[in-house]
Amino acid sequence: MTDTVPPRPKPVARAAPAPPAASPPPPVDQRLPFLLDFYPLQDAKQTRLSPFFDALKKGRLTTTRCPSGHVTWPPRVVCPQCHSEALLWVDLPGRGRIYAFSAVLAGAPLGFESELPFVVGLVDLEGTGIRLFGRIVGTPWTECRVGQSVEVETYELEDGRAFYRFRTTGR
Amino acid sequence: MTENREVALVGGATTKFGVRAATWPELCQEAGAAIFQAIPKLSAGDVDSLFLGAAEPERFAFQSHVAPLAAEQLGITPHRIIQRTELACASGQSAIRSAYAAIASGLSDVAIAVGVEKMNLPSMAEANTSMACVMDRPWDGPHGATAPPFFAMVAQRHMLEYGTTEEQLAAVSEKNHRFANTNPTSQFFEKKFDREKLMRLPLVAPPLRLGDCSSMTDGAAAVVLTRGDWARRFTDTPVFVRGTGQYSHFHNLANAGSLTDWVGLTHAAREALGRAGITIQDVDFAEVHDCFTISEIVEYEALGLCPPGHGGRFVLDGRSDLGGDIVVNPRGGLLGCGHPLGATGVAQAVEVYQQFARTVPAARQVPDPAWALVHNLSGSANVHSVMVYQGAA
Repeated sequence: MTDTVPPRPKPVARAAPAPPAASPPPPVDQRLPFLLDFYPLQDAKQTRLSPFFDALKKGRLTTTRCPSGHVTWPPRVVCPQCHSEALLWVDLPGRGRIYAFSAVLAGAPLGFESELPFVVGLVDLEGTGIRLFGRIVGTPWTECRVGQSVEVETYELEDGRAFYRFRTTGR
Repeated sequence: MTENREVALVGGATTKFGVRAATWPELCQEAGAAIFQAIPKLSAGDVDSLFLGAAEPERFAFQSHVAPLAAEQLGITPHRIIQRTELACASGQSAIRSAYAAIASGLSDVAIAVGVEKMNLPSMAEANTSMACVMDRPWDGPHGATAPPFFAMVAQRHMLEYGTTEEQLAAVSEKNHRFANTNPTSQFFEKKFDREKLMRLPLVAPPLRLGDCSSMTDGAAAVVLTRGDWARRFTDTPVFVRGTGQYSHFHNLANAGSLTDWVGLTHAAREALGRAGITIQDVDFAEVHDCFTISEIVEYEALGLCPPGHGGRFVLDGRSDLGGDIVVNPRGGLLGCGHPLGATGVAQAVEVYQQFARTVPAARQVPDPAWALVHNLSGSANVHSVMVYQGAA
């Protein structure tokens, strides 16, 4: 007698089984892709925006401005408003206030699981119309609040890459 | 200017949604079996075009070039147009819209729109990485952004600005799970949730709890669209596409603007309703994108069903339920059915067809429907996609 293919479930099939509680380790021996880049992509061989990452390593958060004064986020190689390619690097303010936040308590991507729980939020930068999204550190999520003061903080990863986040400075 | 041809929806079907012991191609085969069983007068040779809604098969199933793969699974040989549509969570409605455009213009006569997503992998972190890639990956992704914290911020601002409550959020989830209990293909068909139970579930991204979030789901769905004058070859209850609209508002989270006023949905709905020549008050039922409970509340407001800030009260007062102003998400929504990204937009249209055909269980049948609106959102409410359908007279 020939084996048959398992039938597809009838519409009244039992409830689906829960997914496994703990994720197995990655299938191959690899560095977890923190920053969601499996390879470093921040240098001048990879991106025309490498000055942004060079500035981060010097502790400065920058972005681009076109000759007409359009400041954009994220930094660009072409201004989305006037399509100018003659863009200049400008420093962004180092302080701001939380516009909205939440905490990731479960469901982290690869490389972020050991950091649970963590806080993310939208921050209005002082004296600009710019609102940035980012990680917020320095206060547990249960004590963060809308309107709280934060400062921009740059940080370097073990592999030499750089990124930015916000640190709470007051209530 | 050439007049567009009328386009009809002549049938639809979905697979069982859930955490499925089935691969991407197997789900696709199941959708093929389901659609040909649902439309007995349709043969494979009738189908001239395939539009495949698939959000992330490269990440979830490690597979590119999925349109011809899908055609082979479905047992069809498209000979006019075959393509994949990708718009993250709205890939499914994009497939339907593309089929509509092809038929309206005369390039296709009979098209199948299929949505497929396989999301549950042995590693949930891998699946969550796929979800993070829907965001602006190099800029938002590195902070750990996925959908739940974004929609949690929408909820936080809505609570702050308008006094929306956790009970109002739970009322959305309770309604949609109750409808899903009438839908055997839904992920949570057998799971009962009352408001109190929902408000005790664990927090995922505060203020959102587990019951406020749609699930990682495996599933597929299919619909067939034909030129209007051929519709009755395939069904006695054709449904006609009367309007469509989309609006792409932003992508990077920094550029979202107001979190609580989804102007993109207002624009997309105005375009779709305007093309249909009706207003939102004429719509009898709507399938809207309740990826999170707060989404449905903001959508009532953006659609003009209630004033800004009144969405929480709208659901709590039963105005989006059977017997209310409009029935919202009678299928069970994304909350109750699960959310296989590419399949969701197609499954919404399946419900539209079945509601007009009066083939759904009485517990969710909208009485005497004439007009339906479908809203499919993508990413962090980046793009809003809307279609308007009319039942046959």
